[in-house]
Amino acid sequence: MQIRNTGHNGIHLPASHIVLDGAGSDPQAHIFISHAHSDHVPGKRSVPVYASPATAALMRARGHRGPVRELAFGQTLALPSADVTMYPAGHILGSAMFFIETDEGSLLYTGDCRRPPSPASEGFALPDRSVDQLIIEATFGLPLYKWEPHEVLFSQIRTFAAKSLDAEAVPILLCYSLGKAQEVMMALAASDPPVTVQIHPAGVPLTRIYEEFGMSMGHWEPFDPENLAGKVLLIPSSALNNPDIRMIPNRRLAYVSGWASIDAYGSRLMADTLIPLSDHLDFFSLMDLCREIAPGHIWLTHSPNPDVALHYLQKEGFSCGSLEKEQYREV
Amino acid sequence: MKCNQPGAGSKHDRTFSAFNRSASDPGHATGEHERAACGHDRTITEHDPAASKHGHAADEYGQTALFATLCDTLHAIGQTRSAREKSRLFSSYLQSLTTEADIDLAVRFTAEGAFPSREKRRTVVGRQTVALTAADFCGIDYDQVFKPCRNAAGSASEAIEKLMSNLPEAVNRRSPAVLTLHRVALGFSELAHARNREDKQAVLAGLWELMEPREIRYMIRIMDRRPPGIGFDLCSILEAVSMAFGADTGQVRRTRMLTGSAGITAVMARNRTLDTAVFHMFQPVAFMLASASENVGVPDPKAFVAEEKIDGLRTQAHISDGRVSLFSREMNDITPLFPDVTNALGTKDAEMVLDGEICIFENGSVKPLLRLQKRMEVKKPDERLLASQPALFIAFDLLFLNGVPVIDQPLHQRRPLLEQICRQQGIPLLRQYFLKDTADITRIYKRAIRHGSKGLILKQRDSRYEYGQRSPLWFKFKESGGSLDTVIMYAHSGGGQGETWTAGSGQTSTKSAGVSRHDSTYFIFTLGIRVDDDERYDEAFIPIGKATVAFADEEADKISRRIRELLVERFGPTFSLRPGIVVELEFDNIEVNRRTKAGYVLHRPRFRTIHWDRDPHTTHTLKDVERLYQRQNREPAPRKPGENPVQLFSGPSS
Repeated sequence: MQIRNTGHNGIHLPASHIVLDGAGSDPQAHIFISHAHSDHVPGKRSVPVYASPATAALMRARGHRGPVRELAFGQTLALPSADVTMYPAGHILGSAMFFIETDEGSLLYTGDCRRPPSPASEGFALPDRSVDQLIIEATFGLPLYKWEPHEVLFSQIRTFAAKSLDAEAVPILLCYSLGKAQEVMMALAASDPPVTVQIHPAGVPLTRIYEEFGMSMGHWEPFDPENLAGKVLLIPSSALNNPDIRMIPNRRLAYVSGWASIDAYGSRLMADTLIPLSDHLDFFSLMDLCREIAPGHIWLTHSPNPDVALHYLQKEGFSCGSLEKEQYREV
Repeated sequence: MKCNQPGAGSKHDRTFSAFNRSASDPGHATGEHERAACGHDRTITEHDPAASKHGHAADEYGQTALFATLCDTLHAIGQTRSAREKSRLFSSYLQSLTTEADIDLAVRFTAEGAFPSREKRRTVVGRQTVALTAADFCGIDYDQVFKPCRNAAGSASEAIEKLMSNLPEAVNRRSPAVLTLHRVALGFSELAHARNREDKQAVLAGLWELMEPREIRYMIRIMDRRPPGIGFDLCSILEAVSMAFGADTGQVRRTRMLTGSAGITAVMARNRTLDTAVFHMFQPVAFMLASASENVGVPDPKAFVAEEKIDGLRTQAHISDGRVSLFSREMNDITPLFPDVTNALGTKDAEMVLDGEICIFENGSVKPLLRLQKRMEVKKPDERLLASQPALFIAFDLLFLNGVPVIDQPLHQRRPLLEQICRQQGIPLLRQYFLKDTADITRIYKRAIRHGSKGLILKQRDSRYEYGQRSPLWFKFKESGGSLDTVIMYAHSGGGQGETWTAGSGQTSTKSAGVSRHDSTYFIFTLGIRVDDDERYDEAFIPIGKATVAFADEEADKISRRIRELLVERFGPTFSLRPGIVVELEFDNIEVNRRTKAGYVLHRPRFRTIHWDRDPHTTHTLKDVERLYQRQNREPAPRKPGENPVQLFSGPSS
């Protein structure tokens, strides 16, 4: 099966006319979008794509204009050259893995995934058939990264908010507006006494979609600097330099991200507290997942340092490589 | 017992509850002379009501303060932004300690490293040894796994902490025990005594087997003799000491200067014996340091005197009854290196402590530092070296004279005493110049530079000799050693000091490179020198120095954009770049350092400007560095009579 990594244009399976997470350059291609983060959706907003219902809604909210054909998890789409089945990936709401069966063999593409799954997602499930090729994300593919259970991290979030509010400071949690923000809201929704959360305007339509899909987001409202006292603020770290945010007196910053497990990232953002809550696989669940799927060949993707995980996989006898490093490969 | 990322909430509780006390304190990690300075060792019994509720068994030495508690406190301090809050955290921790030995060790580990800073002992475990031992301990490949992890974390100790806690091999090998501060101090002594790398690795691994990952992290930092990387400087530590024991900050600082030890100072603060701090001959006093200034000039030149900054080694000389000790600025005993200086000073008939410079001095003038470096490389110089590189101590300040602390007198009163004693005893003296106006400063400065001095030090006439931190009472103006066009090889974010930042961000976006603070953005860069035509190297550029720079918003955006364009690879907080940004780098001087790839290091490298239009392949080469190095060590122009900054006297026995 030929796999072509075309960078921003996604991963291309030329024989099957399938493109994963990109617009592709093949006019006949069927485009499958794993989830609505901007590095996975086509830059071209008019192309027709396949996606889960939640991903479809989130993509439209973020400006996708082309037709989205919605697939249900577990449902198989029969294309002339392949059967495609979608499985929940546990990364964010709507996030999906695609299992592609062709005459040349089967392939599982994980997109971004998380196991145990994010509580603000549809969960995580694997196909029950054998996988010849696995394309798996390895964003945190170093043994430095091992995540605490969600309940531990959620309680850290609540404690940070409560302690800051007790000290009459404004707790600001730095988190990405799609996915991470809603996980944090879910954590804060369980606060006792209850707290009100203000969120960055970019997150407002996205959070409404989470609610439409049955996720409980607690008490929340859009960012309003005039009425911030006693409330918790969620913004992406890119908004830290906005004048409205800079002006907030007596603020406390928590950085909520897998990268917060490294001190230097937190100090760069001048964060008071680091909460390493990630919606990606850590190194150890990456290894476990590979062992469990036991595919014929493993492709790592989205890894800043794929060589380390490859070293471990090779030691265990896996045939493996890095999709970014090899760019184009026929197996 | 601990997770690798403890919650913000539980941290403090644990920090202070794991503490307890003991009834006795037999062991003491410090020497007899320190006991004398501290007063009698005893245990406080009416101090910490929480202690009895959280009892812990004492270790085999009867010591009770846990190393883990210190590490948790240091970690909490590192995760706190406010300097006041940092001091408050450390102060409450100090209050929880019951014995002098524990207070001494806790403060020493935080402020000075494994051993008191005035002791000659060093742990001397190289970073490579630590890294190899850690890789071996965790059962991982050094090149394939350890190095990428260290690069991603931006810090070896942090990477080791995480690997120790995550990897099953490492977890299984460790059986954490109750380690006291005292036990860890003994471990450091063992490391100091270990002769070769194998022994050191065995001792290290043996200690790590008994530690939690966080203890391992801070143990490595303490051993490295650097501040533990938690943004907690000596000033704030001493502030915490005065807070903890209700002592006057000024007195705490003075005591630390006299004793040369923050640990002893803390013990004396607790015992309320700071006022008994006395100077002891042959115990080095913390040096008064000048703050660097870029502009030649002070608001009120008449209030200052000027001295030439001669090319030498800052030295404190203790002289009494034929005995002489020489201490370097790091308070190392350098007496054996300079038998010629020691012999000359040993003949002086007064008990005194002098501050000055050791220089190579020949035919009436100070010679380039390069020649002094030849002396500094040899622990026991032979006759030939002594003859070819004759060293001389040149005094510029007097701290103690015949048992009397002159140190508290203003400079304009110390100076006549110094001149008198130098004249009487025949001790070389650094000339001091009175100043009428800024033109005077410029004239003296230019003359100094022309004759091979490195710059000028301006000293406020009514200043007392002040404790170790760089003081605004002394200013130094140094001549730039030159500048080189270099390229940016790596951009880094800071490692917990909270001061210095660079490009990019985590998984979200790389929209804003660098982080703003006080309306400017901080970057750290590793700068490369060109070796593309150099047959000795395969690379096109190799590192020559690191520099931190603050940019205003507009320029910060421009450089962030350019960094993103040039990005090749990211190792955690480090960004590897294609050569593309040319930086003119200024420095004080060039030093030979064989442990670096280039073989040379730039002293005090700093940004002059970015040359956006310049081609990286026209920048300076390593051969240019070598030429500059040769030139900097040329003989300076000869002095006119009366312009020599060094005054020689024919004393009675000199």
